[in-house]
Amino acid sequence: MDRHRGVVRWTVRACALVAWALAALGTAVGPALAHGGSLGRAARDSLSVPAWLIVATGGAAVGASFLLASFGTDRAFVAGLHGPRRYLRLPGRRWLSRLAGGLGVVVLAVVVVAGFLGSTDPLSNGAIVIVWVGWWAGFTMSTYLVGNAWPALNPFRAVARALPSPDRRYRWRWGAWPAAAGLLALVWLEVVGPLAEEPRTLAVTVLAYGVVTVAGALVYGPDQWFGTVDPVSRVLRMYGRVAPLESTGDGLALRFPGGGLTADVLDGRDDAAFVVTLLWATTYDGLVTTPLWRKVARVVVNGGVPPVAVYPAALVAGAGVFWGLYLLAARLARRTAPTYVDVATLVRRFAPPLLAVAAGYHLAHFLGYFVALLPPLALAVTTPLATVEPAVVVLPGWFGTVAVAGVLVGHVLAVLAAHATAFEVFPGRMQAIRSQYPFVAVMVLYTVVSLWIVTRPEVAPPYL
Amino acid sequence: MSDNHAEHGPTDPPPPDSYEVPPEGAAETCPDCGRPFHDAELVALHRGLAHEAVLDDEARERVAAAREVESRRLRLFRLKAIAALVVLYFGLLMVYAVVT
Repeated sequence: MDRHRGVVRWTVRACALVAWALAALGTAVGPALAHGGSLGRAARDSLSVPAWLIVATGGAAVGASFLLASFGTDRAFVAGLHGPRRYLRLPGRRWLSRLAGGLGVVVLAVVVVAGFLGSTDPLSNGAIVIVWVGWWAGFTMSTYLVGNAWPALNPFRAVARALPSPDRRYRWRWGAWPAAAGLLALVWLEVVGPLAEEPRTLAVTVLAYGVVTVAGALVYGPDQWFGTVDPVSRVLRMYGRVAPLESTGDGLALRFPGGGLTADVLDGRDDAAFVVTLLWATTYDGLVTTPLWRKVARVVVNGGVPPVAVYPAALVAGAGVFWGLYLLAARLARRTAPTYVDVATLVRRFAPPLLAVAAGYHLAHFLGYFVALLPPLALAVTTPLATVEPAVVVLPGWFGTVAVAGVLVGHVLAVLAAHATAFEVFPGRMQAIRSQYPFVAVMVLYTVVSLWIVTRPEVAPPYL
Repeated sequence: MSDNHAEHGPTDPPPPDSYEVPPEGAAETCPDCGRPFHDAELVALHRGLAHEAVLDDEARERVAAAREVESRRLRLFRLKAIAALVVLYFGLLMVYAVVT
């Protein structure tokens, strides 16, 4: 009881501290937010604060949140912020999940039909709008803002469950590495291919992915396939770790946003590599639209490299650099702490906080896009095959603030979650703080890169 | 924030097989579970969290002493952190004043 009251008291004090910190950061960051980092990219030409200063402020905000987090050294308090706060029972859970699966199958059918038969104009084609605006922007946002409903909605899972299962099931032996490779392949397809412009190509891709996925689920069993191999399910499940709601055996678990990032949920190095790959994938998406990328790609292609190879090479190389930096941070943490805990354990425990960073970057990228394209989405859902010129919401100038705020809030959540994890892993409080030096340095670097990309003018990627 | 109470929150030390000790051996090990640590202070802090129920009076004293030393270090760290925050805040404020 006493401990509980202590946690409540500390929570109130912490809220006051966080409010004060945000207010303090707000006055520092405010002027930058007002002008820079707008998703309405035209606004970037009229920056009154130079981009380097926005980037430096963002890096400083992450560093400052680490310094502020280091004031929370009360173990009971730090542990009290994380883990489930309460469980909510859901009546008729099995029926709800069947219903959701059925809904998923109906939406999938609409996407495929509209992809083949609908208008060829992307904005008035049901398939394009439902997949990109409704699913990849809107639904993905719901997985980290609310909770991951994909296991229930996943149409491929519903189809695999309805098909007769073979007698023999194989065991998957390669962990999460193929899922990481699959994620890179999907990102490559999305960036290089005309999946957002040509409805027919999108429909064929969805069907091909569906055939592979359902076949895999039959051979390896749905739980193994969607739990380990399928990159899409894994991305959404990982984003779901950031959310305040999670479906568990005891009902819906309610926790603070980011509270699920401190648990020891990853299986191993491969799982951690998937998290870092996801972070890189969200970064790459923006990187290829920067003027710098255009310059570098031109130089490389003029040097004799075929244009087809430039995109996948950069994708794989960047994933390697992000992963290498993260491994280096884990190695250095053993020295700064100091601790004998092995690198594999550190790599596994400190990767989940990076999911908050990835979620923040996704929000920065897609919230404006989602809100602007809500009218076409409403049209696509109600009349997927009609050819009407849909209206688009014009976003107010201040909306760009949300993009930079998304990146920052994601990083602050990540720093706090890593701080709480360090308190779980290490017996010394000073040791826990010192273990974070290399991880915070890497996070500041990731923030700087992300913000730098967000503040660049967007140009069309060359050679596509 | 105060250091001297409510420090005994949950802890979750990694399982004993997830430690990597250099060939010359660990500097210190926990007498209760064998986990390796870099110094005696960390062993005491670890025992106070993970094995509090089985400690004798002498061990308890060592835990209290280690916590006292750690609290002093934390206070010093906080002073440095405040100094760094002040430098960061006003540094940026001045940069903004000059640039914009």
